[in-house]
Amino acid sequence: MYRKITDGFYWLQECPTNNTEFVDQVNPPKWYKGNEEVHIPQSIYLLVDEYSLLFDTFSPASTDEVLDEVKEILGERDLDYLVLSHTDVPHAGNTKAILDTYPGAQLIAPKYGTGHELYRLNSSKLVGNGDKLELGKFKIKFHEAPFVDSAIHLWMTEETTNTLFTVDWHGFPHNGSDCMLFADELDYPISEDQLMQFHGRVMFWLEYVKPEKVNEEIDHILAEHSPEQVAPAHGHFIRQDAAAELEKMKSVVELISEDGRIGAFG
Amino acid sequence: MTESARSEGIRQLGESTYWINECYAHADAHEHVSVYIVKRDNKHVMIDSGSYYHRKSIKTKIEDVSGNEGISSLILSHSDYPHSGNVKSVQEKYGKLTLIASSGAPEVQGLDDAIKCTIGESMVIDGLKFSFVDPPLADRSHTTWIFNHDTGILFTADGFGNHHDPGQCNYISPEFGTGIPREAIYKFHYESLSWLKYVDARVIGDALQTIIDDLDPSFIAPVHGNPIASSDIPTYMNKLIESVDRIGSEYTVGSAF
Repeated sequence: MYRKITDGFYWLQECPTNNTEFVDQVNPPKWYKGNEEVHIPQSIYLLVDEYSLLFDTFSPASTDEVLDEVKEILGERDLDYLVLSHTDVPHAGNTKAILDTYPGAQLIAPKYGTGHELYRLNSSKLVGNGDKLELGKFKIKFHEAPFVDSAIHLWMTEETTNTLFTVDWHGFPHNGSDCMLFADELDYPISEDQLMQFHGRVMFWLEYVKPEKVNEEIDHILAEHSPEQVAPAHGHFIRQDAAAELEKMKSVVELISEDGRIGAFG
Repeated sequence: MTESARSEGIRQLGESTYWINECYAHADAHEHVSVYIVKRDNKHVMIDSGSYYHRKSIKTKIEDVSGNEGISSLILSHSDYPHSGNVKSVQEKYGKLTLIASSGAPEVQGLDDAIKCTIGESMVIDGLKFSFVDPPLADRSHTTWIFNHDTGILFTADGFGNHHDPGQCNYISPEFGTGIPREAIYKFHYESLSWLKYVDARVIGDALQTIIDDLDPSFIAPVHGNPIASSDIPTYMNKLIESVDRIGSEYTVGSAF
């Protein structure tokens, strides 16, 4: 599944699992329509202008899908850059398949963390905070990721559209009938419960944090970057009210630090 | 297993557990990327599969430990490549083995044929009882720590690691003299678990101590560190909590982004 965000900017979505067990079927949350699958997506992004860039790869469960969809968008032209946000299997699991298909593509990986050779990243170009890449009208700026699981991790901004790619931050489940809708097209606003369902599992370490320190970091991100759009890896593309959406995580951080994680995901 | 093989990177922990230690060299220190094997009768349960980078060496050491019997089961702490990098090669060599992983979506993690273990529950695998423990120190949501009741060893994956000097690759904790150095514990956690910069050291310390009090492990067996004997756990814990506190104190909000 893929959808055009704006000319040359595409959102590709993989929904490989059904997680209805995350929803209380007796007292369902307002966002849940009932009798539907519950998906936590893998979202990746393809930018195409003078040069093309794919951000992440889908999981090994969807190798054919990512190759087909990228081919459909690119047509006969090559992929120029493959950027890995981090080395987690659901994000990087098709790296080899994509590079085999597009052998001229340059692999770009986070410079942070250690032991890149153990992830076969020793021949990739390593980038970090402030590094830039021009694709034509799209201008990429890389950031050290503040909220991570693995240490080898990267966020980025596309400066022309002022889109912040937050990878594992701001993920949330959706109804099975809502795949590929922009956040503003959903029947319900993104809720604290949805954000909790993802971060209370994936960002398990929020259980141990000083919440005021994490929330101060959220404030810093908003003040420093003022994103107009948010492109999460496990949620829907956010076109409107980006700052207000990112602010929603503050209460979720406080809840997880008070009550602990709610489970696992992945 | 011969004594010479032992000196080349295989150490026995207790009566029936073998530490296959592999190292990766950083600029100024080594970091382990180890696997473990627990033996019972003619069965060998492997804990994690190591990195592709050490595949040849691990293969040789598995053969030293398990002889003609081979590996019967493989339990993965999580799917991160340095832990899961040899799953396919071990399966190809020991085709009938049972693969156990905590992932709720094994196909998404590239582990289509894994049997799911559930964190908080226990399983008997090849006659050995294992419990799956929610890990306060990890780099993936689905990571499980693995406690073997028969040996009392707690396998902690990315938790309880340390860097070490080149001459210390084969050490277990009592052989460090004054224990595993504080700076080596700090460096590992600073580099590998960068989310610790937001953590309250007291809170995570309490969570870790609760696990230790509940399980009373004979050894803590990390993938990225030297095994810690029971008598050394309190000292290691003090140094770990000091390290977590230091990581948080040294980080100023906004400096990473």
